[in-house]
Amino acid sequence: MMVKVAIVDDEEPARKLLREYLSAYDDVEIVSECANGFEAVKAVTDLKPDLLLLDIQMPRLDGFEVLELIGHEVDVIFVTAYDKYALRAFEVHAVDYLLKPFSSDRLREALDHARKRLATKEKLPVENLAMSARPAGAKLERVLIRDGSNVHVIPVSKLDYVEAQDDYVCFRSEGKRYLKQQTLGDVETALDPSQFVRIHRSYILNIDRLARLELYAKDSHAAILRDGTRLPVSRSGYARLNAVLQ
Amino acid sequence: MHPILTGRGRILVYLAAWAPIAALLATVLSRGGAMAWTEAAIIAFPMCLLYAFVCMASWYLCRAIPLRETEILRLAGTHATAAVLCSGIWLVIGQALALLLDATSDFEGIDERYLSQLPILFLSGILLFLLAVSFNYLLIMLEASRRSETRALELQVQAREAELRALRAQIDPHFLFNSLNSISALVMADPAAARRMCLLLADFLRGCLKLGSEERIPLIEELKLAEHYLEIEKVRLGSRLIVQREMDPECENCPVPPLIIQPLVENAVLHGVASLLDGGTIRIEARRNGAFLNIVLENPFEPEGAGKNGTGVGLKNVKMRLANLFEGKARLDVEQTEARFRVELQLPCGRS
Repeated sequence: MMVKVAIVDDEEPARKLLREYLSAYDDVEIVSECANGFEAVKAVTDLKPDLLLLDIQMPRLDGFEVLELIGHEVDVIFVTAYDKYALRAFEVHAVDYLLKPFSSDRLREALDHARKRLATKEKLPVENLAMSARPAGAKLERVLIRDGSNVHVIPVSKLDYVEAQDDYVCFRSEGKRYLKQQTLGDVETALDPSQFVRIHRSYILNIDRLARLELYAKDSHAAILRDGTRLPVSRSGYARLNAVLQ
Repeated sequence: MHPILTGRGRILVYLAAWAPIAALLATVLSRGGAMAWTEAAIIAFPMCLLYAFVCMASWYLCRAIPLRETEILRLAGTHATAAVLCSGIWLVIGQALALLLDATSDFEGIDERYLSQLPILFLSGILLFLLAVSFNYLLIMLEASRRSETRALELQVQAREAELRALRAQIDPHFLFNSLNSISALVMADPAAARRMCLLLADFLRGCLKLGSEERIPLIEELKLAEHYLEIEKVRLGSRLIVQREMDPECENCPVPPLIIQPLVENAVLHGVASLLDGGTIRIEARRNGAFLNIVLENPFEPEGAGKNGTGVGLKNVKMRLANLFEGKARLDVEQTEARFRVELQLPCGRS
């Protein structure tokens, strides 16, 4: 069976090395060389590789963020000079973790693991794991949205509110909407609770956007945002909002 | 509080020291058969016990008028007055004790014999008080010198620690691992480049070790080290890393602490240029400004590179070293705009 591999590393020599090591295998085809995470997401979308050799420290999108975006579509071997990410890599079910510099024998081992995993055809739900494998205590600083082969990076300070829509959540930022397959509960736990409040079963609000609250029926309120948008506020949402605002 | 009062053991030793004084006083009182020795002792011991505490109180007086900061006349006047007053009160209490003994014990007429010894007792009281005053001043001075000694040692240890920490933090192991990985990549594809990289790395490491052991090095040496570092990173980052230098030849020989600029250069690469998809230009500028040397480092960075822009440990270390080495005569100013980071280092540069 042919294994389609994409190499993702922002350093040219590192990519060269992988290309050289991989040239020894007849059953490995390098379908793409990517110099950053954006290219990686595009390559995964367009070329559907079986395996990513993925660096972690890269500009703008790091390896874990790439994994979060591409989810379970492809198996990943991390390749990095840092040993401190090993545990996180394990948590997101990476096939292997190569520490730079590494030998061709070590790469052979990693490839063997990958072949085994590919043979079982068993894909793991990496997407949610990537969210939960965020370093302990760290709150989400930006939202990554994959739109086909494009990636949008939205700093959380630019989020207006988040809305649940069936199996998706819709992030609203600067008049635009971005859909992502995720639950609102997951988003809520990832965001800083002093800044984002679950005001309703279906809404999380960035409290900086709140202009005023209106009583709209007995026991029920509406949040009016600075841009005029009206959002419903449930009774428990009203209590949470008050707790944060005071 | 008086240092003697800080422990039970100390109080006992202090009071024991007063026993021979009491014995001496009893001997003086019984001289020429004016009083029997036992009779003199029965007066002298309680009086000395009492006086031991009175003298201890002079500590507070000594603290209030420090030896070095007080005029000599005021010093002498105050202590003389205090001595006379204390001695006087002491004698009155002694008289009361003598009257008590006269009334309640076999020592009949002890109060009259006591009165005949008043002048010598008064004199002893004054002398003992003044002795206690000198003893207290001695204690205060000892304590002050011990405190300043400890403080000097502490400061020395702190400065040394900061220095060591700064130097130890110098060679980032990941820099080494990444460089070795680059060499590993170049070995087959471009052996000459691999060899060059080995030599650059060796030069850089040797420079770090050698310069780290010196106190001051000429600026040019420090910048050469940064140059090696940047060359190595260029192999890794390729066209993403551009370096622009503006060096005033006048400051080439300005003495600087070793490895003071290196961490700033590393920051500019790791948290600046390397965080950008397309890289950018690091600008290094060195100028002489009168008696000062100004070094400016400027780099672009990725404002949306969440959480990757370092923890500021490197900058903090540099600041601490400057504070230790130049005692406020050097500065490190950090300026951060939308997407540019700028540090300016100002050091005194006595000679060139």
